[in-house]
Amino acid sequence: MNYRKLLLRNETALIVAIAVLSISIGLKSPEFYTISTLFDLFRSSFVQLIFALGVLVVIVSGGIDVSFPVVGIFSGYTAVVLMQRFEWDTNSLLIPIALSIGIGIFLGAINAIAIAGFGIPTLIATLGTSGIFRGILLTLIGSSFISNIPAGLDKFATADLIRLETEQGTLARLHVLIIPVAIITILVSLILNRTMFGRSIYALGGGVEATRRLGISVKRTQAKIYMFAGGLSGLAGILYVSLQRKANPNDLTGSELDIIAAVVLGGASIMGGYGTVFGTVLGVLLISLIKGNLILLGVSGSWQRAAVGALLLIGIIVQAVNESKRAKSRRVATNDEAGQ
Amino acid sequence: MSTLLTAEYGVENITKSFGGAKALNGVSLTVKSDEVHCIAGENGSGKSTLIKIMSGVHAPDSGLIHLGQKSFPALSPREAVREGVQVIFQDFSLLPNLTVAENIALPAYISKESFFLSKKKTKEIALEALNLIGIDLDINASVADTSIASKQLIAIARATNLDAKIIFMDEPTTALTRKEIKRLFEVVEQIKARGVATVFVSHKIDEIQEICNTITILRNGEVVADGLMKEFKRDAISEAMTGLNISESRIAPTLRKSTSKVIEVSNLTTKPTFSNISFAIAPGEILGVTGLLGSGRTELAEAIFGQYPIDSGQIIVNEKSVKLNSPSAALKAGIGYVPPDRLTQGLFLEQSIMRNVVSVGIDQYQSRGGGLAKNRLLSAGERWIKELRIKTKNSLNPASSLSGGNQQRVVLAKWLAMNPRLMILNGPTVGVDIGSKREILEIIRDRAQEGMAFLIVSDDIPELIQICHRILVIKNGEISKEFDASELSESSLYVELS
Amino acid sequence: MNKNLAKFKTGLLADRKMTQLMAITGITFVFFSLVSRDIFFSSANFTSMAYQIPEIAILSIAVMLSMLTGGIDLSIVSISNAAALVAVWIMTSHMDDSGNAPLNWIVIACIAGIIVGLLAGAVNAILVASLNVTPILATLATMTLFNGIAIGLTDGVSISGLPEEFVRVGNGTFFGIPTPFVLMVGIGLAVGLLINRTTLGLKIFLVGTNRKAAQYSVMGDRKVIAWVYVISGLLSSFAGLIIASRTSSASPDFGSSYILLAIVIVVLGGINPNGGFGTVTGVILATTVLQMIASGFNALRFSQFFYLVSQGGVLIFVMILNVVLERRKVQRSIIRNLKS
Repeated sequence: MNYRKLLLRNETALIVAIAVLSISIGLKSPEFYTISTLFDLFRSSFVQLIFALGVLVVIVSGGIDVSFPVVGIFSGYTAVVLMQRFEWDTNSLLIPIALSIGIGIFLGAINAIAIAGFGIPTLIATLGTSGIFRGILLTLIGSSFISNIPAGLDKFATADLIRLETEQGTLARLHVLIIPVAIITILVSLILNRTMFGRSIYALGGGVEATRRLGISVKRTQAKIYMFAGGLSGLAGILYVSLQRKANPNDLTGSELDIIAAVVLGGASIMGGYGTVFGTVLGVLLISLIKGNLILLGVSGSWQRAAVGALLLIGIIVQAVNESKRAKSRRVATNDEAGQ
Repeated sequence: MSTLLTAEYGVENITKSFGGAKALNGVSLTVKSDEVHCIAGENGSGKSTLIKIMSGVHAPDSGLIHLGQKSFPALSPREAVREGVQVIFQDFSLLPNLTVAENIALPAYISKESFFLSKKKTKEIALEALNLIGIDLDINASVADTSIASKQLIAIARATNLDAKIIFMDEPTTALTRKEIKRLFEVVEQIKARGVATVFVSHKIDEIQEICNTITILRNGEVVADGLMKEFKRDAISEAMTGLNISESRIAPTLRKSTSKVIEVSNLTTKPTFSNISFAIAPGEILGVTGLLGSGRTELAEAIFGQYPIDSGQIIVNEKSVKLNSPSAALKAGIGYVPPDRLTQGLFLEQSIMRNVVSVGIDQYQSRGGGLAKNRLLSAGERWIKELRIKTKNSLNPASSLSGGNQQRVVLAKWLAMNPRLMILNGPTVGVDIGSKREILEIIRDRAQEGMAFLIVSDDIPELIQICHRILVIKNGEISKEFDASELSESSLYVELS
Repeated sequence: MNKNLAKFKTGLLADRKMTQLMAITGITFVFFSLVSRDIFFSSANFTSMAYQIPEIAILSIAVMLSMLTGGIDLSIVSISNAAALVAVWIMTSHMDDSGNAPLNWIVIACIAGIIVGLLAGAVNAILVASLNVTPILATLATMTLFNGIAIGLTDGVSISGLPEEFVRVGNGTFFGIPTPFVLMVGIGLAVGLLINRTTLGLKIFLVGTNRKAAQYSVMGDRKVIAWVYVISGLLSSFAGLIIASRTSSASPDFGSSYILLAIVIVVLGGINPNGGFGTVTGVILATTVLQMIASGFNALRFSQFFYLVSQGGVLIFVMILNVVLERRKVQRSIIRNLKS
């Protein structure tokens, strides 16, 4: 009974949970079963998923990053501010995205210095940097709400791939982001599974000392990890600003919980070494499903956080119970196929 | 300097300390690329530290490392790998969350500085490596689920299939059967034929004599002898390693006849770890248990301490049947356990010696008001320092300030303070200097004379023969033979082990 | 002679971290007093600090306890808010129009709040001690859940206007000293006695130093950890009641930045694994330092976001300092050994 089987179990459990949830919601409110619900689910998951992929990479390596939402909004907000200050081409989409990713990588590098350079425990380091980043954002860059974001970004919010008229007369819109997000997701999965960088991440999660002895540079890998996560957070941040059509520096703080919950539910072990992109995608979908459709279940929106908390709690209890079962069944075998 | 021009690899005047303890003191050695060089020494002699320095895991405090034409004051593991160093570590250093195939193949990707991996290639590399050592394993299994012997074989496969220039093997046979060891030696010969240097580290003299061309003997962090293997007789090696004349006298106390038993174990079984274990220990008796690494000997000891599950079987302590399903149940039954790794399992290194000594029986130190009786704690600390002759100036010094031998005494003290009926010791003198070793054995003897029963799990055969009344050999989780230690020769025990 | 020297070595002053901390407290005090002579160095300011320090100090002591065992309790703020909300709800439902409530109901309300703290702590205890969930993950989940339930029940709205008798505690004095301060000292003494003078306290240090060795030493490590989280919940509820009393309100989202602050304080206050009274005193001193910085910045008209930056900055700085000093210690011992 190996962990891969368990992981498979985890992902099937998630699929089942999503299915059960969808059916329950649909039973209570049949208007759930429309194509627009699906498209809306995707739309609300894009930003979450990009963040979650960054968090996944960090968690698989055995660390934890709580600074990612701040990195996201810092990068996005600053990109907008820079575009306005220097009056760059407001119709361009590429410039703000590149800016935001670049700033995200830079902030990730600061995390890397604290964690890889000075060896500060990841929770404490990222807790510290999140305070620093947030403070600098609000003091030096701006604490005001920007509602007229550059035109390119603003128009992007309504760039739909598919537009369908539903029977109810409303518009079901599948945002164009589905393509790049899908590509990025597949890319991250390929990186994690098919590159040395990716395998080094899993190796770190399996044992820092054993990884070091193999000749893998632990510090360099960690630096890459946090810069990679920073870049993804920067991307998520600017996409958020675009989809929301506003830049509010106080946004996104507090969303760590939902995303970490999604990644953990997706099967990543907080101890490191385990976790898949597929599981993370499922986790994000599950959380988005709950948060977006609580009302349809007859539950007021102010219960969203409790729902996420309950889900996370159930998830970790199940994982913990499974883990103890596995530990009990993993007894030392004094004879196996070796040399037989 | 001139001798080093002809040698290919080695170290020059290496010194290394950890905290207060000097692990290596001015060690120099050379290894040629077509030889198998042995580093022989007891546990704690500095062998592993030397390997770690030569492979970049630790940096020496002073001295030079020579790899081929290049010299380094210190190495990083990455540089070592680049210079052609591969290591089979004593603790295997595997990645439990990855598959067998991936663990074996990763070093290949690393040395080629590849960017991409492919599942197919990984499997190919792994199968090729396993073929080379003639072993069959499920390469898709997660390493976490494999047995200890398999892990050792994986570590061997990982190191031996590459274009390494020098391969270090740190105690690579501790979990292997005779057949597997033979196969390993064949591989070493193949490697030698390819012009790869091998450094074989061991404390088992038989193996050293079989495989090595040249030898360096370490004792207490210093080189005490080196040269060609054929110039060293077995006794000379042993004496150099231990610093004593080999005929070490038995110090087991005479056993008083007794019909009562402190503990009686019948048909203890936990699949797949051990099965049908039955034995009994009388008061004052010292029973030894030995076997290969991974034979189930540690798990058996921990099962009697309630730390490992028992599926079936009966345990009777002092005429009463007990269920030892937790360490506190074992403690209540009067059983104590000194674990094999004192640093991670036995000691609270940053805490004071006093706190370590009282750590098992803390509840006894409650004063009437419900608080901690600090004066009693202090006096307990001082009593045990005196009684076990722990070398320290102050009971409030941290345990990390002690030498290995004194640290081991602290772990012993904390259990002796509970006055158990049965003391289980697992590897009681590992990494302990020769003087402390003797004293620890004497402590055991004295307690046994007073009626304490002992179960000693160890792979130090000479030591077991010195102190035990009887010795059980565990093979594949079962008792394969019981020996009367008073008339036992080491060789008969070694034969039974393989 | 040796014994006296030893006693001195473990006494309050000789603990190097403690002397450093006292120096830092002194320097900070002098600095801000000089730089802001009228605003900072005024009895109004000192009094206001004396009212705000206690709640943070108590929360920090709670975090200290969980960190002593090698874990962390991230849910302290959500527990404190939950306890406050329950107490406040009971109080206000028995409040008459003139803002008075019968004393026994206030007492019952407080007891209810404390029970909430104990129960919440027990949930953490079950997760961490029995189910072996990593503390970070477990308390992240409970933090989300407790916070979520609080938001759900109150719809995110805070309750204000509390009974006169209750508010008097948080804003009154006890023999001239602000009541919360007195409560803090009492709680500090109690916790100090617990960790330094009881068997549980000694076990807490040992479990935190080496959990595995504690297991092998049969000291009931699980029970110890369980107790720590229950006590942490209890302390959080005390803090919650003091906050409610002082601010005359309770809300589900109060003090969201307190968790970072508490961790900064504990790290600054220096967790000494060996104990000695220095640990609780260190926390209180560190709280004072940070509160002085806060009010000093306020007096100097720095933006409150700058305080956030400095929190994160102090955290990272202290951790880097620890690493640097540790490295230097190792270097020195290497040199010493080479010479011998």
